[in-house]
Amino acid sequence: MLTMLAKLLKALNSESAPGQVALAFSLALIVGLTPLFSLHNLLVLLLAFIVRINLSAFFVAVAFFSGLAFFIDPLSLSLGESLLHNSALEATWTTLYQSDFWRLTAFNNTLVLGGIVIALVAFIPLFIISRLLIVMYREKLLSWFEKLKIVQVLKASKFYNLYRSLAD
Amino acid sequence: MKQWIRWSGLAGFVVVTGLLVAFFMLAAAPLIKSSIEHFGSQAAGAQVSVDDVALNFSPLGVTLTGLQVADSEQPMENLLQFEQAVAELELAPLLLGKGIVRDLSVTDLRFNTARQVSGALPQADQPEQETAVIEESVAQEESPLALTELPSAEEILAREPLRTESAGNQLQQHFSQHQRAVDETLAKVPDDQALTAYQQQLQTLLSGDIKSLQDFNQRKQKLEQLKKQFQQDKAAVAAAKQAISQARTDIAASLTELKNAPSADLQHIKSKYRFDAGGAANISGLLFGEQAAEWAEKALYWYGKLKPYLASDEASGETEERQPQRAGGRFVHFPSDNPWPEFLIRRAQLSAPALGGFMQIEATDITHQPALLGRPARVVIQGQQLTGVDDLNLEAVLDHRRQPGKDTLTMAIKDWQLQPVDLGIAGTQLSSARVQLQGLAVLAAGQLQAQADAQVVDAQFEGQGKTQFAKEMARALAGINRFDVQASANGKLTSPKVTLGSDLDKQLNAAFQQRLKEKQTELENKLQAQLNEKVQSYLGDYSDELTQLNQLDGSLDDKSQQLQQMASRKLESYEDKQKQRAKEKQQQLKDKAKDKLKNLF
Repeated sequence: MLTMLAKLLKALNSESAPGQVALAFSLALIVGLTPLFSLHNLLVLLLAFIVRINLSAFFVAVAFFSGLAFFIDPLSLSLGESLLHNSALEATWTTLYQSDFWRLTAFNNTLVLGGIVIALVAFIPLFIISRLLIVMYREKLLSWFEKLKIVQVLKASKFYNLYRSLAD
Repeated sequence: MKQWIRWSGLAGFVVVTGLLVAFFMLAAAPLIKSSIEHFGSQAAGAQVSVDDVALNFSPLGVTLTGLQVADSEQPMENLLQFEQAVAELELAPLLLGKGIVRDLSVTDLRFNTARQVSGALPQADQPEQETAVIEESVAQEESPLALTELPSAEEILAREPLRTESAGNQLQQHFSQHQRAVDETLAKVPDDQALTAYQQQLQTLLSGDIKSLQDFNQRKQKLEQLKKQFQQDKAAVAAAKQAISQARTDIAASLTELKNAPSADLQHIKSKYRFDAGGAANISGLLFGEQAAEWAEKALYWYGKLKPYLASDEASGETEERQPQRAGGRFVHFPSDNPWPEFLIRRAQLSAPALGGFMQIEATDITHQPALLGRPARVVIQGQQLTGVDDLNLEAVLDHRRQPGKDTLTMAIKDWQLQPVDLGIAGTQLSSARVQLQGLAVLAAGQLQAQADAQVVDAQFEGQGKTQFAKEMARALAGINRFDVQASANGKLTSPKVTLGSDLDKQLNAAFQQRLKEKQTELENKLQAQLNEKVQSYLGDYSDELTQLNQLDGSLDDKSQQLQQMASRKLESYEDKQKQRAKEKQQQLKDKAKDKLKNLF
């Protein structure tokens, strides 16, 4: 089982073009700013797996943005509150609320809605800015990334050794 | 485009999510079990245990086996237990962490069963219990019917302070005081013998010739002494008359009081010992009060336990959930036919053995967020194959959608064969009867308004008592075959004013009224006779004495008159006596001379 997963990760991690890393950051922003166990995050995870992005960057960025979310959450909550109580949108929300699927997305949760709106608004700017930064500082960024403790820990794990043996 | 897609990632996704799902599914059952035991124990204030929790996948649900909830007040007893509960869950809300039970089926639900080991929690873990509501819910008042038997006239007279007796004693006291005074004054009054002696002395002094001036003076002196004596005697007579008059007035007043005392005593006794049938007016309270109190206590206990969960959002009246802000935001709800509260039991079916049969309980829309659901919770209880009850239906509507909440309970019992009920007085019991019962209770803003009507037919009473009252009670009850009972409870839920009334009371009243009237008249006559006897025992001597005093007063009047007459008699003066004699002699000489002159012519 672990062998199969390591094979998969090796195949996935081979893509590390600037756009792929930048997209990993942008997708991680959505997961980080909203409650982890949400339907849309399942979709984001699916995208992260099937779109050729750098998964290591994705998971590290998820951890980073989840930490950042503690500071952004008040803004997310406030935005979610105001959107859900916006009378102009009430009919839309009510219509969506009648559907089990939309309710499963927890769109009527203040943190989910506020967080996802902020993440989507920041998605493209973050993608563009991070891509530019990656292009400009590719070398530095990669070396910095490799030095990250979490990456070191991952590399020290049995799972990574397995991954390396397969990669080599 | 192809370089952007990696289909192998899909397999990775499936594996990762599959692993996550598998982990949760493996962990779910132990998590549910420990959650029920932990949070259940906190809520119940006693140990809650589950033998086994199993997940079902088609349909999705949970099966609980062997749940026991210990009684916090009696740890060696279970408040309730059941063999098995199968909960069918809705998947979509569950994915959002909402426990929506489509169908809950509980079999072999039992209450108040014995435990093998104590269900008490360790002291530190025991939460505070809200028992005050239950403890104070039903105030047991002492039955006003304290009349156990009719006391006899002798008993009443012995235990009651009687004015007749005090008036009699007062009369005795007054009489002895006055008698002493009268005797003392009478001792100074001359008797008949003395009066005769006075007469003789007066006669001696006032009759016979006065021989000389010296003789006259001696007589006069003696007469003066006699008159002085008369004055003293008159004063003594007057003092005696005064004493007698005072005695007569006081004794007459005491006698009047004594004569009036029995009627006053009788009036007092009648007012104190009310032999009306009012005492029997609460007999329905004795018949059903204890049972009603027991039921009310149980109902209030369960209501007190459930209320916090039924009305958790009552205060705000909002349709939105309250959650810690950072934990996961807040769900805002919109109008819908199918809202998802945090917890909801759409339909629960429970079966509990009771009265030799089963109570089939069906509950719908049980949630702590009724405002969000938009429907009140309903609990319908139907008795099946019950022993002694043909049909039992209870329906509770717990409506806490808006503030204040309103709970309504309707109840109908058909052909309830009453077990023998001890009336608790005079060894009398209702040995058998059939009851039809309808009740309605509404609780809103902590104020209870409850009304129940029962028709009792084929009533048979038995009386074992041997006292007079017991016999009278048995006689009165023997003629009663059917009666109605009305019960009501109004006021604060914690201390409602409970009233029980029935036409049994009226029927008993009628029977009692007649019997009690007879008994009362009889008793009153006896009391009157005995009081009269008491009066006579005081009056007998003293009325004679009073008569004697009256006679004595008359004789003193005579004596006083005699003394007055005697004192008014005077001794003529010696000179006047001589002049009168001279006049008499002169007249004699004149008459002689005239006779001689007649003879000459």
